[in-house]
Amino acid sequence: MQDTVSALLARELKTRFGSKKLGYFWALTEPVLQASVIAIVFTILGRASLSGAPVALFILLGILPFRGFTKVSIQLATAIKANKALFSYRQVSPIDPFVTRFLIETATYTCVYFLLLGILAWLDFSVMPEKPLEFIFINITMLIMAGGFGLILCSAIVFYEDASRVIGLVMQPFFFISGVFFVMPMIPVKYWSYLTWNPLLHLTELSRDAMFSSYQTPVGEWSYLLFIVVCLWALGLSLYWVNRQRFLAA
Amino acid sequence: MIYFRNVSKFYPTRNGRAYVFKNINFDLPMIHNVGILGPNGAGKSTLIRMIGGADTPTRGSIDSKLRISWPLGLQGGLQGSMSGRENARFVAKINGVRDTSDIEEMVSEFASIGQYFDEPVRTYSSGMKSRVAFGLSLAFDFDVLLIDEVTSVGDASFRNKSHAALQSIRETTHIIMVSHEMSQLQEFCDAGIVIKKQSFVFHPCIQDAIQDYQETYVKRKR
Repeated sequence: MQDTVSALLARELKTRFGSKKLGYFWALTEPVLQASVIAIVFTILGRASLSGAPVALFILLGILPFRGFTKVSIQLATAIKANKALFSYRQVSPIDPFVTRFLIETATYTCVYFLLLGILAWLDFSVMPEKPLEFIFINITMLIMAGGFGLILCSAIVFYEDASRVIGLVMQPFFFISGVFFVMPMIPVKYWSYLTWNPLLHLTELSRDAMFSSYQTPVGEWSYLLFIVVCLWALGLSLYWVNRQRFLAA
Repeated sequence: MIYFRNVSKFYPTRNGRAYVFKNINFDLPMIHNVGILGPNGAGKSTLIRMIGGADTPTRGSIDSKLRISWPLGLQGGLQGSMSGRENARFVAKINGVRDTSDIEEMVSEFASIGQYFDEPVRTYSSGMKSRVAFGLSLAFDFDVLLIDEVTSVGDASFRNKSHAALQSIRETTHIIMVSHEMSQLQEFCDAGIVIKKQSFVFHPCIQDAIQDYQETYVKRKR
C-alpha cells in the first residue's frame, strides 16, 4: 500500500497542480485571494470588528473550515473514478487513490491555513488561538468529516455521474446558512433550532470559539459533530463495501 | 498452478443475476501456454481480468503463488492523463522499483513511438497504446503473462517485434492469451480453455480446444 500510495501521490500531484505553469502557486493563492476579497469587502462596509474580533480574522475562521469541507469532499468524490484505469494492477485497490487524495487535500488545507494566518500575523493581527488544542481538533474533525462525506460521494458517482455537480449546487446555499458571515448571537433565538441541524454551522461556531477569547459559542456542540462523523463514515464504508465490485468494473 | 475455488461471477441485471461463471473448481497447471476460446460475451476478458486481479470473483477465490502480470488489454492499464513514461514510472513504483529510469528506457525503446512517449496516453492511437502496454509488461519478470488481444491491433513491425519478444521469453514465462485468431493461438499456445455453460473446459492440447470450440460454437450455427 505504501508503494502504491506514493506512486499515486506523484501521479495525482502532477495532474492536479503540475499540468499548468505555477500550478502549486495557484492551488495556494486561489483560496487566499478568495478569503482576502471577502475580508476586504467587509472591512470596507465599515465593520472593524464582529463579536469583538477583527473582521478579516473573523471571516477567515468561518470561510476556511467551510471551504475546506466542500473542497476536500468534492476532490475526494472523483478520486476513485478518475483512477479507474489503474485498478488493472492488482496492487491498486479503489481505496488507494482515496487515501492519496485525502493526504494531498489535508496538506493543501494546512498550507493554506498557515499561509493566511502568516499573512495576517505579518499585518499585525493577533493570530494565536485562544484554545490551540481545540483549534487543531476542530480542523481535524472537519477533514475527517469531509473524508466520510467524500467516500459517500464516491459511491454516488458510480450510479450518477453528475453527482459531484449536484453536490456543488447543493452546497451553494449552505454558504449562507453555515455561519460563514455571522455568528449565532446575531440570529434571533427562535431560528436557532432550525439552523443547528446543519453540522457545518457547528464547525464554524467551534472554530471561532477556539480562536477568539471574546467569543463563546452558544450552540456549537462537539458531540453532535462527532455523531455526524461516525454516521458519515459508517454510511461511506458500507457503501464502499457494497459497491467494491462496481468500482473495479471497466 | 492457478487455483480456482468455488469461483462465481455474476452481474446484477434487471432480470436478476446474469451469471458469467458459476461454481468453478479447477487447478490450472501453468506448465502450458494457454489460449482462451469462446464467442463474444462468453467471459474471456472477465476470466483473464480475474486471473490478473483487475477484477474479483463475486464468490470464491482465485489464488496462485506465481507472479502474474496485469491483463494486457486494449482498454485499461494505461491512464489517459499520464504520458507513456509516467505510466511506466507508475507501474515500476507500485512493483517496488525505486530507480525507475531503466524501466522507462526499456519501455520507450520497445514501444519506439519517439517523442509521443512523453505525451498523454489519451492522445495515442490504439496501436501506440498497445506498443507501450506490451513493452511495459516485458519490463518485469512475470511467471505468467496475461494477454487480452493486445497484439492484434499493431502494425506489421510491431507484430513481428511482439512475436519475437513472446518467443524469447517462452523459456521463463508462460502466457495465457485471449485471441480470435486461431493461427495466433496455434503458434503460441499448447493448451486451451473453452468457455461454455458458465464454466470452462481445459484441453491440454490446443488442437482439441480449437476443435471443441468449433463444434460448440461455430458448426451449430449453420
